[in-house]
Amino acid sequence: MKLTSLTLTELEDLIQKKEIKAEEVVSAYLAQLHREEEKICAFITILEEKALARARKIDAQKEKGKLAGIPLAIKDNILTEGIKTTCASRILGNFIPPYNATAVEKLLAEDAIIMGKTNLDEFAMGSSTENSAFFLTKNPWDIKRVPGGSSGGSAAAVAAGEAVAALGSDTGGSIRQPAAFCGLVGLKPTYGRVSRYGLVAFASSLDQIGPLTQTVEDCALLTQIIAGFDSKDSTSSPLPVPDYRQEMKQGLASIRVAYLKESLLKGIDPEIKDAYKKTLKILEKIGAELHEIDFPSWEYALACYYIIAPSEASSNLARYDGARYGWRHPQSSSLKEMYLNTRTEGFGQEVKRRIILGTFALSSGYYDAYYLKAAKTRSLICQDFERAFQEVDFVLTPTTPEPAFLIGAKSDPIAMYLSDIFTVTANLAGIPALSLPVGLTRKKLPIGIQIMGNLFQESNLFKLAFLIEKKVKFKQKD
Amino acid sequence: MKSSINIDHICNLARIKLSPEEKKYLVPQMIKIIEWVNKLEELKFDISREEIYSPLASSLPLRKDEVQSSLGVDKALANSPEKSREYVKVPRVIEGK
Repeated sequence: MKLTSLTLTELEDLIQKKEIKAEEVVSAYLAQLHREEEKICAFITILEEKALARARKIDAQKEKGKLAGIPLAIKDNILTEGIKTTCASRILGNFIPPYNATAVEKLLAEDAIIMGKTNLDEFAMGSSTENSAFFLTKNPWDIKRVPGGSSGGSAAAVAAGEAVAALGSDTGGSIRQPAAFCGLVGLKPTYGRVSRYGLVAFASSLDQIGPLTQTVEDCALLTQIIAGFDSKDSTSSPLPVPDYRQEMKQGLASIRVAYLKESLLKGIDPEIKDAYKKTLKILEKIGAELHEIDFPSWEYALACYYIIAPSEASSNLARYDGARYGWRHPQSSSLKEMYLNTRTEGFGQEVKRRIILGTFALSSGYYDAYYLKAAKTRSLICQDFERAFQEVDFVLTPTTPEPAFLIGAKSDPIAMYLSDIFTVTANLAGIPALSLPVGLTRKKLPIGIQIMGNLFQESNLFKLAFLIEKKVKFKQKD
Repeated sequence: MKSSINIDHICNLARIKLSPEEKKYLVPQMIKIIEWVNKLEELKFDISREEIYSPLASSLPLRKDEVQSSLGVDKALANSPEKSREYVKVPRVIEGK
């Protein structure tokens, strides 16, 4: 039995039945990590000794948590106490958080094991992980290609068998797009479902932490564990967290699915389009009602996102000034010079581009024309979804317009931004969205389909994804 | 809308310096992005400021005003680039002789 080919729930079952020890699991994963890492470069920090010591401790415990001995990878913008958290930025290159993110705290409380911290686009700004200040991460399905981003390290680590599952963060598609590129299940939960405490802020009204896993059941289990109200995040929801894993298997009473009209699929890769149409056929076969839905605001979502997200980023990233923590430029004769030098040399190009764009959109004389207009567009998008969810239970789209692209293929920022065309709407509307692998292209690259649902309907997303998963039988990479 | 950007003013607000070379490619890129987002001009809105989407629920939860423990000075200062006793140390703030 190859331990690194098992899913989270399979592995957990063996550990709980005491058929294998946590230490054996962690050792197997570390061996796989050492074999793969030179090629894939998924991790910024690897916690070999800590992971093994923790596994031994868990093996000695009588009572074991729901994730006992499960090796997980955590995106390096989610705080881990005493473990370097860099956001793949020079400015936080040596930052050691004094506390854990709530999501991490919840995983640790269930005895999960953190294998390391994964690479990302600097401050989660990007769609390929090429914006990391440190190194490139490669897609395990084809190492000439990107793993997607910004949670590219998390996705690559799971696809390469270096961790069973991972946490990522999603502001405009940063969990779903890499999940699609690497053949994984990825969930962007409803805004407020998972606490953002300890997630380094990029765009606070859009950010959510979520899981990247091999199966829908793994995704349901991890979501269940990390979700819930947190007094440290006042935007987290007090709604109770259902038993997603159990509910997932109960099936759906109604499957009314909206699909995108032909004009909104213009320009997407033909193999992705085929896979999308095939998935709709599968849905028809399992008894779904299909509706073509009009989304007047759909084509404005990306432009809206690229004002809202940089605006919030420009405000959030004002905190990196070299004064209290993080890197400080060594030569500055005044406070203002310290701010300027630190930020100029501490941030990479894409981060600077977005800070400048956001500062522009919020600046006097332009606020009404840009930020306010984008905020109003966001309201239209929400209204379109509200209307849609009166008629349907789900909206189905491709996750990405194309499969994983070649490293270096997108030097133009707008071309890169277009990667997010199907994913940003869910962040703008706050609704949950899940990407599910449904097949491979001729070049053996994974294709992801996105299922969006109404606010706090994660349970229904898992149910539908589980039904599709059983039909498509996607095979993880060996 | 005419697309232009006073890059020096915006960079000063953002506390970021751009080299002349960086400006040479960043400014046209920014203008391209701004022209692209100008697509929103096509939309007609009937939305008041009050109706603008907010991710926050209509009422935020309140908690009791209880004293809780905090990080403590050592932990809070552990990541500071320069410190002096229990303070963060920065270059002089008041300019002049």
